[in-house]
Formats: sequence, C-alpha cells, structure tokens
Amino acid sequence: MSNDEVNANVAFSETDERARLLDRLAQFSSEQTGLAFAGFAGFLTIWYVAALFQPTYLLPSPVEVFAAFVTELTAPATLAIPLTGIELPATRLLAKLVQSLYHYVPGLLVGTTLGISAGIAMGWNDRVDSVFTPVTRILRPIPPLAWIGFAVIWLGVNHKGATFIVAIGSFWINFYSAYGGVEGVSADLKEVAATLGVDDDLTMIRKVVVPAASPSIMTGIRTSIGQCWMIVVAAELIVGVGVGYEILNTAQNLAMDVSVAYMLVISLVFLVSDGLFRRVERRALEWRA
Amino acid sequence: MSQKHQSETTVAVESLDKVYESDSRTVRALSDVNFAVEEGEFVCIVGPSGCGKTTLFRVIAGLEEATAGGVTLDGEPVTGPGTDRGMVFQEYGLFPWRTVSENVAFGLEEQGVEEPTRSARVDEMLRLVGLDGFADAYPKELSGGMKQRVGIARALAVDPELLLMDEPFGAVDAQTRDMLHGELLDIWAETDKTVLFVTHDVEEAVTLADRVVVMAANPGRVREIVSVDIDRPRERTDPVFAEYVERIRGLIGE
Repeated sequence: MSNDEVNANVAFSETDERARLLDRLAQFSSEQTGLAFAGFAGFLTIWYVAALFQPTYLLPSPVEVFAAFVTELTAPATLAIPLTGIELPATRLLAKLVQSLYHYVPGLLVGTTLGISAGIAMGWNDRVDSVFTPVTRILRPIPPLAWIGFAVIWLGVNHKGATFIVAIGSFWINFYSAYGGVEGVSADLKEVAATLGVDDDLTMIRKVVVPAASPSIMTGIRTSIGQCWMIVVAAELIVGVGVGYEILNTAQNLAMDVSVAYMLVISLVFLVSDGLFRRVERRALEWRA
Repeated sequence: MSQKHQSETTVAVESLDKVYESDSRTVRALSDVNFAVEEGEFVCIVGPSGCGKTTLFRVIAGLEEATAGGVTLDGEPVTGPGTDRGMVFQEYGLFPWRTVSENVAFGLEEQGVEEPTRSARVDEMLRLVGLDGFADAYPKELSGGMKQRVGIARALAVDPELLLMDEPFGAVDAQTRDMLHGELLDIWAETDKTVLFVTHDVEEAVTLADRVVVMAANPGRVREIVSVDIDRPRERTDPVFAEYVERIRGLIGE
C-alpha cells in the first residue's frame, strides 16, 4: 500500500494551499485596514466639523463625548449588589454597566438555555412539534418589549422585569436556530450512529444531533448576544436603571455628550462580547470545512 | 484465499419482498429475493439502477423493514440496526466534529469499552487501514479514499459478524479505487470477515467477489448468482476475467 505517497501528496497540497491563502489574506487585510481607517477618520471629521456649528445639546462633538466618557468612567459612585445589601466603591459608568449586566447576563442565560432546549425538543420529536407549532406561530411575532406590561405587573419595576424581557428576546432567537439546526441533521449520520449501537433518543441527541446542529446553535447564541444588548437598553428605558436608562435620563437633561458616551458604552460592550464569543465559536467549530 | 473454510451461513435472505405504497401507486422494489452468504465469504451484489440493490442493503442493515419474508444473521432474524453488521456508506457518513480516532472509537464508546482497551483497539484499526499517522485529523482534512478508510476502520472496530458496504468506492477516483480494492482484500484476509458489497460496477464485483449476486429491475429480483473462480489478485487484462465481466454484463443487459 502506498500510504506514504498519499500522505506526501496531501501534505504537499495542504502547505501549498495554506501558503497561497495566507498570501491572499495578507494582501487583503492590509488594503482593508487602510480603507477601514480612512472610513473611520472621515466619519469623525464630518462629525467634528458639523458639531462646530451646533450647540452641544443638539450635536455634541466627538471631543466633548470623549471628555464625558472619561468623566463618567472616573467619577466615583457606589455599586449596590442586589440581594446582598453590599455596596462597593466604583465609578459612575461602571455602576451603570454592572446594573445592565444584572439584566443582561441572567436574561441571556435563561432565554438561551430554554430556547435551545425547546428548539431541540421540537426539532427532534414530530409530535412535540405538532403540538407546539401553533402556539409558537402566534407568540413569535410579538416583540419582546410588548411584554413589558406583564413584566412590570408580575415582577415589578426592577431588575427582574428587565431580565424577563431579555430572556424572551434570546429565547426566540435560540429557539429558531436550534430548531432549524436539528431539523437539518442528515439522516445518514443518525443511521450510522444507529448501526454503531445508539438505540435511545437521549444518546442520539447528545452524541449526534447536538454536535451536528452546533454550527446553527452557535450562530443563534451569537445573534442573541448582540440582540440582547438592543433589548436590554429598551427594557431599561422603562424599568429605570442601567446604561439604557442613563441614555434617556441624560438626554432629558440635555446632557447629550453624556448620552452619546453611554450609547458608545453599549457599542463597546457589544463589540467585546461578540468578539469573545466569535473566538469561542471558532475554536468549538474548528472541525468545520 | 479461495480455500477459506465455508460452511456456516452468516446471512440468509429468504423470500424477501419490499413494496412501497403511496396514495397514487405501488412500487415493487424487491420481489422474492433469495440468497445466502457463507461465513468468511465475499459477496457482491450488482445490478442496474432501480434494481433495488440499495433497498436490499438497507433491509439487511435493519434500516428498513421487509414487506414479506426476511433476513437472518447467524440464524437470528434482523429486526433493526445493530453492531453485528458494520456499515460502510458511499458518502462515508463520518462525524465531521470527531477526529479520525474519535470516529473509529464511536461504536466502542457505545459498547462501553473502557480505556485503555478502547484506544488500543482504535490504534489497531487505524494501522489496519493504514491511517496511523492521521489519528488527530478531522474528516475535512482527508481525501475521499482516506475518508473511506476511516469508515471501514470505524465499522470494523466493533468486530461485526458482517461488513456491509454500499458502493463504498463510488465517490473516489479510479486510481484510488484500485488501491482500495487491494487494501480491502488484504483487510478481508486478515480479519476473516464476511463481506456483502453492493456496487453497480461489474469489474469491481469481479475483482473482489467470491460470488456475484446479479440483480434485475422491475421488480427488483435476483437474476443469477455467479461464482468467480479466479485466484487473487485478479488482473483485468486476464481473458478469464473479461469473460466473467462479459457474462455478468449480458445478464444485466448492458
């Protein structure tokens, strides 16, 4: 058997391919970085020039926004940890951000877990699918924020209310991605597993269906990580705490520079959380072609 | 290799019918199929497309039920898929999220084989198919021929009675296919497995098989069973080889 020949061939074509790809990427990225930098600089310049002719309350300049950002980032404040009564020294920006994270993280975790579980259950079992499809069709089009009335009546104008809204938002995103992923798992792989001794549903789901659907499930999680920042801001406008509320509150006092600084906070935490998850995703799905 | 001890029946297909019924029409995929495969034998099933050879494969695998009649394996009726039949598919069916060694280990995990026995068995299988250097590669990194070697190693790892192969080399190029034929015969000789191999390629069947089950279409049925009495390794240029190919092609009506 001429395995060495095969190996050598594969190794050769692989390094060849990789070298060419890296080459192209390098060219591509240096040109792209240049364009991206130019675009960003252009945006700042236009903003700066436009702001020269306007009072701050109509259009704060990038310099004013940056100054407001630094002030909020450094001004001392206390951070109250809910349920514990503990108060920690922090800064204003940090305190608001942590308040938002109290809504965001539990809401995202609960909604994602329930959404993925429900998606897998309905994608896997036709009877469960038939029973719940009408209900999901009716509930799905309702925007998460429409539930705010119930959130307030059931849970109060507090952290729990905002968390509830975030959970609803991430539930639907993850439900559909998991459902679609499970529906799309090839029958071949399930048959292979059956011939290799998998004879119960739970093992099949755990060892074949979930890994095969994982690219779709991961996309759902990443989408909800982003969408839930949008939802948390909206929910906070009503429940009156966190970065979202601060954007509205400062604007009502015409401190538009501070308001925009908090808008940028949302943008930054989104970029950081999305970037981190992308890395996790890339590592988890490195097997993908 | 042709001097194998052949006495016990491994697979028996008896009066097998398979009918697909839909609202508008009835399709008779298999009609009264009968044949047996002896222990250690290499049998190929050939026939034109639509002759039901893949349906037959799926019924033997336990992935589909017979309408009438049935299949027995070592005398036991086949009622569903099981590890006594190792399956190799044309499209490989590898788990892309598992490395080569993890793919081969899948069936062993299900059987509850513990470490270090499991790894030892996986290594043994990878050596058998000549992939020992690729244990940690993902399927996407392999060529078609290498993928199918993983498929064979995975099927053999659980030590099945029967190796069931459905056009396993249909998706690889001709040169690789020739190489894989030789390797498969070596593996067969080394492991003493019974092999049932479905193909539409008559030359492939004559290269590999002790006996060739020739099928006909509409309805799918056995036309004739041809014993190939040529010593291995077989050469395509051999006039006797060509005669067998001609004869089987004649039976199929090509």
